Amino acid sequence: MHILICENSIDGIFSGIYRAYASRYGHRNTRLITEDALDTYELFCEYEPVPINREHSQKVADTLTARLGTEVFQELCQAVHAYESPRQCRREPNKAEAVYKTVVLGLSSQDGTKILEYLGNPYVNRVFQLSLSTFNEAHHLLGFLRFSELENGILFARVHPKNDVLPLLADHFTDRFPCENFIIYDEPRKLAAIHKSGAGYMLAEVPKADEAFLSRFSPNEQEFRRLWITFFKSIAIEARINPKLQKQNMPLRFWPDVVEMSTIQEQRKR
Amino acid sequence: MQITQDMSLMEKLTILSDAAKYDVACTSSGIDRGGNGKSMGNCLAPGICHTFSADGRCVSLLKILFTNECVFNCSYCQNSCENDVKRVSFTPEEVCTLTMEFYRRNYIEGLFLSSGVLVSPDYTMDLIYQTLYRLRYVCRFNGYIHVKAIPGADAALVEKTGFLADRMSINLELPTADSLKKLAPFKSRKTILKPMRLIQNGITANKHELMVVRNAPRFVPAGQSTQMIIGATPETDFQVMQVAEGLYQNFGLKRVFYSAFVNVNQNSALPMLPGGPPLLREHRLYQADWLLRYYHFQVSELLSEDRPNFNIFLDPKCDWAIRHLECFPVEINRAGYQTLLRVPGIGYKSARRILQARKHGVLTFSDLKKIGVVLKRALYFITCSGRMMYPTKLEEDYICRSLMGDKTQIPREIRESGYQQLSLFSEGAGLCIS
Repeated sequence: MHILICENSIDGIFSGIYRAYASRYGHRNTRLITEDALDTYELFCEYEPVPINREHSQKVADTLTARLGTEVFQELCQAVHAYESPRQCRREPNKAEAVYKTVVLGLSSQDGTKILEYLGNPYVNRVFQLSLSTFNEAHHLLGFLRFSELENGILFARVHPKNDVLPLLADHFTDRFPCENFIIYDEPRKLAAIHKSGAGYMLAEVPKADEAFLSRFSPNEQEFRRLWITFFKSIAIEARINPKLQKQNMPLRFWPDVVEMSTIQEQRKR
Repeated sequence: MQITQDMSLMEKLTILSDAAKYDVACTSSGIDRGGNGKSMGNCLAPGICHTFSADGRCVSLLKILFTNECVFNCSYCQNSCENDVKRVSFTPEEVCTLTMEFYRRNYIEGLFLSSGVLVSPDYTMDLIYQTLYRLRYVCRFNGYIHVKAIPGADAALVEKTGFLADRMSINLELPTADSLKKLAPFKSRKTILKPMRLIQNGITANKHELMVVRNAPRFVPAGQSTQMIIGATPETDFQVMQVAEGLYQNFGLKRVFYSAFVNVNQNSALPMLPGGPPLLREHRLYQADWLLRYYHFQVSELLSEDRPNFNIFLDPKCDWAIRHLECFPVEINRAGYQTLLRVPGIGYKSARRILQARKHGVLTFSDLKKIGVVLKRALYFITCSGRMMYPTKLEEDYICRSLMGDKTQIPREIRESGYQQLSLFSEGAGLCIS
């Protein structure tokens, strides 16, 4: 058995897939694993790290788009962007392995565009679950993300997602606010999506954010926050107050970045 | 005597959002409209919830009244002209500023504008129209707008407004004409159904126009909805659901909303509900409503004159299945879509996934679990390759008892918010534990 260790990113996993095909070990004798899921080595297996190769990864991406269609390709990318907890890693097929085997199945079947319907297949099912978890979190954040207007009129939002949802968020807000300058900052990944009015967005690595700059808000910012919190409080019906349902619908982990929830919690502490 | 004073935007917002909160028809769904690269905003068909208020309900639109002054005296409404409350009105500019600034910060998905009746229905409708016009053409807002048509307003005004809004609604308020007459003497079935029909015809005409002229302006593209108050008057669930079914079939409504009655006015003519609003009843009505819209059920299958209310212990689908055991068990690898839809524990999404997945191989119970079927409900009604999951009896009492052990039958939030309300309408209870 050959086990290819690849980096946990689109380029990493696609390079791994390229290597798996190019090596001609045979798909039955090859497995892929992401490097962070690797904790114990198995006996009688050959381990081989695969470095990122953008050319290879691009070739894989082109083939997948052409043969499996853009929809399947997007789902595969979403699955790669999903976060796997260590517990999931032990119980379910590894992300890289699931994507790899799904691709093999898709490219060998007659109609590759229907590959994600094979939900009875454990690998396809895993890809489906991973992709769904990214999609669901992104959908939550489309609503729970909050912009603040900085001194210079730029809208700034900070998020702490489990999965790598930044591209999905940036796509949505670029479509929604074409004439605004905005930044969405994924703090745990140190990644920012930067959008300039009238143009597309770009992703940039931000190792260290200038916190002093990010806390200087425009003069109106506090006023509109207060208005919003007022609205938020008065819209609830007293006879139906139900904090458990509220938490069920809006999980606590989102609260620190949601301005009305964090402000109300702070007020309560005082 | 009327005392007018200048109020700050904050005070106005407090009063006018508080006055709008009992209107529940406030989703942001029904239309996909991408951004146009120039103005601000887009719309997503499934809708987006932006936050959840302390009552656990989704906040997606800036839900406000334009004014809480009202010449009507509906006895269930806190803005009734007989009530002594502070009266304020927004100006169109204020509504626009609030909407735009909230939208930019991603607080909201759009605007929900309702209103009390100021001076006359026409006058109010015109104010609403002006506000929307300003929002669309001066502020260049391209997000979601839900607007109320004021009962009794001029048809031309309603139509003009419809071209600016995404969704329009007129609240039916109460399921029967008699109740409406009693509680809302200024409103009548006629003044409510007339604009509803008008909007329906507008939507149909617009659809035909769009087939010919692709760029024609769109009229109420997200459809219309309505709301009924539940528990203020003695109608049964059967009557309520029949009205809802009629609205879906004859008026082409997108949604009917049900609002558990809260006695805000402490009006002695209306029921006092010591156990709080009838939330479980509201929940069952919504469940049945989904069965009508997505599961091809008919009201006559769920309820009848002899059984006019829903079973409080079981959801309507389980309840139906238990009374129709002759249709079960269903073989997962062979049954058609319509048949799968009727199995408790299988939703319309998992039914579709089952159809797709079984083309590529025989499905087992563990596959079903991964697909998203709720096996603890479905297992009594299905077989995979001719076998049931466990040896179970296909027997009414047995299944009923097992299903009631399932805690999700009565949602947690209702179970934990006090359960006294059961006694209010429990004559329908215990039907299947004979």
